[in-house]
Amino acid sequence: MRWQFIASIIGILLVFLGFSMIAPLLVSLHYHDLARNSFLQSMGITMVAGLILIILSKKRGSENYINQKEGMTTVALAWAAIGLFGALPFYLNPEFTSFTDAFFESVSGFTTTGSSVMTNIEGASKSLLFWRSFIQWLGGMGIIVLSLAILPFLGVGGIQLYKAEVPSPVPDKLTPRLSDSAKILWVLYAVFTLLEIIFLLGGGMPLFEATCHAFTTLPTGGFSPKNASIAHYNSAYFDYVIVLFMVIAGINFSLHYQMLRGKTLAFWEDTECRFFLGLTLVLTLVMTWDIYGTVYTSLKDAFRFASFQVVSIITTTGFATADYEKFPGLSQIILFVSMFIGASAGSTGGGMKCARIIAGYKYCYRELFKIVHPRSISHVKINNTVIPDEVLRSIMGFLALYMGIYILSSILLAGMGVDMMTAFGAVAACLGNIGPGFGTVGPADNFAHLPVMGKWLLAWCMLVGRLEIYTVIILFVPEFWKK
Amino acid sequence: MKIIIVGAGEVGYNIASRLASESKRVVVIDKNPDAIRRLSERLDIQVITASGSNPKILIDAGIKETDILLAVTDSDETNLVACLITDLISPSTKKLVRIRNSDFDPYHDRFKKEKPHIDTIINPETEVVNTIKKLMEVPGAVDVGDFAGGQVKYVGIRLDSHSPMAGIKLIDFPAKFENNQPLIAAIIRNNEVIVPRGGNRLESGDLIYLVSEAEKLEKTLNLFGKKIQPIQRALIIGGGRIGERLAKLLEKDCIKTKIIESDIDRCHYLSEQMDKTIVLHGDGSDRKLFLEENVSQSDVIVSVTDDDETNILVSLLAKNLGVENTITRIGKSNYFPLLASIGIEKIVSPRLSAVSSILQAVRKGKVLSDISIFGERGEFIEAIALETSDITDKPLKKIAFPKGAILVGIIRDGLIMIPTGDSIVKPGDRIILFAVKQAVKKLEKLLTVKLDFF
Repeated sequence: MRWQFIASIIGILLVFLGFSMIAPLLVSLHYHDLARNSFLQSMGITMVAGLILIILSKKRGSENYINQKEGMTTVALAWAAIGLFGALPFYLNPEFTSFTDAFFESVSGFTTTGSSVMTNIEGASKSLLFWRSFIQWLGGMGIIVLSLAILPFLGVGGIQLYKAEVPSPVPDKLTPRLSDSAKILWVLYAVFTLLEIIFLLGGGMPLFEATCHAFTTLPTGGFSPKNASIAHYNSAYFDYVIVLFMVIAGINFSLHYQMLRGKTLAFWEDTECRFFLGLTLVLTLVMTWDIYGTVYTSLKDAFRFASFQVVSIITTTGFATADYEKFPGLSQIILFVSMFIGASAGSTGGGMKCARIIAGYKYCYRELFKIVHPRSISHVKINNTVIPDEVLRSIMGFLALYMGIYILSSILLAGMGVDMMTAFGAVAACLGNIGPGFGTVGPADNFAHLPVMGKWLLAWCMLVGRLEIYTVIILFVPEFWKK
Repeated sequence: MKIIIVGAGEVGYNIASRLASESKRVVVIDKNPDAIRRLSERLDIQVITASGSNPKILIDAGIKETDILLAVTDSDETNLVACLITDLISPSTKKLVRIRNSDFDPYHDRFKKEKPHIDTIINPETEVVNTIKKLMEVPGAVDVGDFAGGQVKYVGIRLDSHSPMAGIKLIDFPAKFENNQPLIAAIIRNNEVIVPRGGNRLESGDLIYLVSEAEKLEKTLNLFGKKIQPIQRALIIGGGRIGERLAKLLEKDCIKTKIIESDIDRCHYLSEQMDKTIVLHGDGSDRKLFLEENVSQSDVIVSVTDDDETNILVSLLAKNLGVENTITRIGKSNYFPLLASIGIEKIVSPRLSAVSSILQAVRKGKVLSDISIFGERGEFIEAIALETSDITDKPLKKIAFPKGAILVGIIRDGLIMIPTGDSIVKPGDRIILFAVKQAVKKLEKLLTVKLDFF
């Protein structure tokens, strides 16, 4: 393990993070709010820390090749470090009292989860609210590169199936691929964000709120500068605009790229995308049927609220326009299950990802098929490509680990005195990077009242979920550290 | 007529022997001295041991005065290069090529229009697969084929003892069936090909060849007590090129297909290629596997492994398990006479298919199709009657038909007519003829003799 190499990368990232604090600082200066000093201090600390790391690791190897072990360690540590330093503006601000809360909020932001410990959001400084949205937007940028280039390269969780189709001709070196694809995908991401801001402004939302919401829609984050989230506006127009952009964010970004390159049927030809869109539609219709008459009296409202909640949860965004805990049981179950399914691989969404669900289903079907035809030879195929057995094993391992971590964390959380529904809901929401859960952490509540240890556990869950399980868990496997 | 054959494999050998027996000048080029020796010892042909894609060799072989080049080596690339060279040196030579790799399929048209201007591309596997498909559709038939682009079909069926047709004289047909009278082209009895005359009687156990319009085929078969049933479940033994192509074709038609292949790597390959087809790893003649997979429920079993003996065994096993409709691939023609006696009658042969396709192109005149039946002992020839040929514009009874040849049908304006002694063939008619092997050469003369003056 070349620690110096890892440290230098983290150092560079921290310097960038420090630079990015200029944005909320400007917001703070514009609104003359109280957070100015906290941003200045955080910026200083972050950049100095970054520079120290860079200087300390000056003798960085000339070799640019990263092996799998170093790659995983770098990704996990980088994300943790950014979460840590990103918490500074919260912690140094008098509105936050404990570092735990600041760290929770920061990790929730960078992992684009959207679970919050802030009880009175509208009372906080504007610049702090902007920072909350902005770190989700930055997190989303990180995730796009992570999920389309870095993790496939490291072979994490069998997701190499969904490698980005980048124009670079070099297949094996990470760097040229990474920078090329990252640029294209970031431009796409930025353009979608800009479009959403324009759409929201068009509906009459103030610029600050439109920007904050767009910044948290595209990364499927879900932070809102309003206490009541999107429900605050009670406008069908805003609901549908946000639904549209949540769906866009939940689709593999390389498909958007293909679409722009002229493959108009890209969405339809991709099995995962078809599954994701189809499932979203079916769940919406079922929920519409379920809440029509029981919660909403008009079919139009039932559809509007059903589509918003389903899309918000399945894309793991976590905006709310209704308190789904007041919905009938079927609707709640739909949302609970959606938390696990998640969006497409290669999107900014979390959860298990549709691709893995499809592969898992096909794998199980093949096992059953084998019992009926013991001597048959069959392959699991997605998009007409055969999925190698080692990738399938990796996917099955992922699904099992996901559920295992889910169950274990729920037990731990319940052990800290949290009730069952809340424990199940909170862990599902954090592991899947969704935001609101069930029980006392539902869409109308927040995470402030949870025990300190519980918050650390959930922050860890967010990281584990965001980094596709393996990347974080592997660091806890003793074998990984043996020389 | 001079013909150069590049490649002395199975197909090359058989074509050479057919053409040599029809007194054509044949040169065979092959790199393999053993294959060449086998040819030169048995056939009256000229041989060259060298690479057929070499321009110097082709010139030495006399490509410039050659009418037809047949490139039938096992290598598609060699065949294509041989054509390309020929196209450069001697553009007037007709080029027939065997291309087996299906990845070339989309380019066939361009090979014909652009360089190397190939006249006919033959893919024995594709043709065999199409034949199997046709055979599957008519369960009672031993042999099936098309004329006039599918408008008219010929079917070979075996008369059972309980067939309503057994014992009827051909001369009684018009009285018995009026307009629906079936058209019988050939009768095969005790391994003898009989060209039917009015006095012949149908007997049970005969293999008869019928010609019928495609729409009336079902009706005609009903007269003989045979029915057409749609296939729902198929089992293919052998996942070679033929098995693979067939499975893909059946998959498209939503027929539930299973394919058994003994080579595990090939199984993996097939499974990657197939969508719904079930790929099974095992030996085709493994009775246990057959029972395990409920083979007796299959509508048809097609055995197309590379090994004739395995295929025969599989078909016997299938019949033993109660599947009557079996199709067997046979490579060696000396097996043909034996097979009927053990009940294996639906036979396909890539080699025979290739030979028919090539012969069709080699034949002079406006021959549209040329189909060998019953182990090449007889041939169906479909041709357009030429104005200048001896066959047109006079009553048939005045035409000196060679012994062993018969005019089976005349297709005019899309309708098929049964010829009588007074019928007259008009120029431009499509005619279907049947001839035993010995009569083919004479028949060809009858069709084309005057054409040579042009």
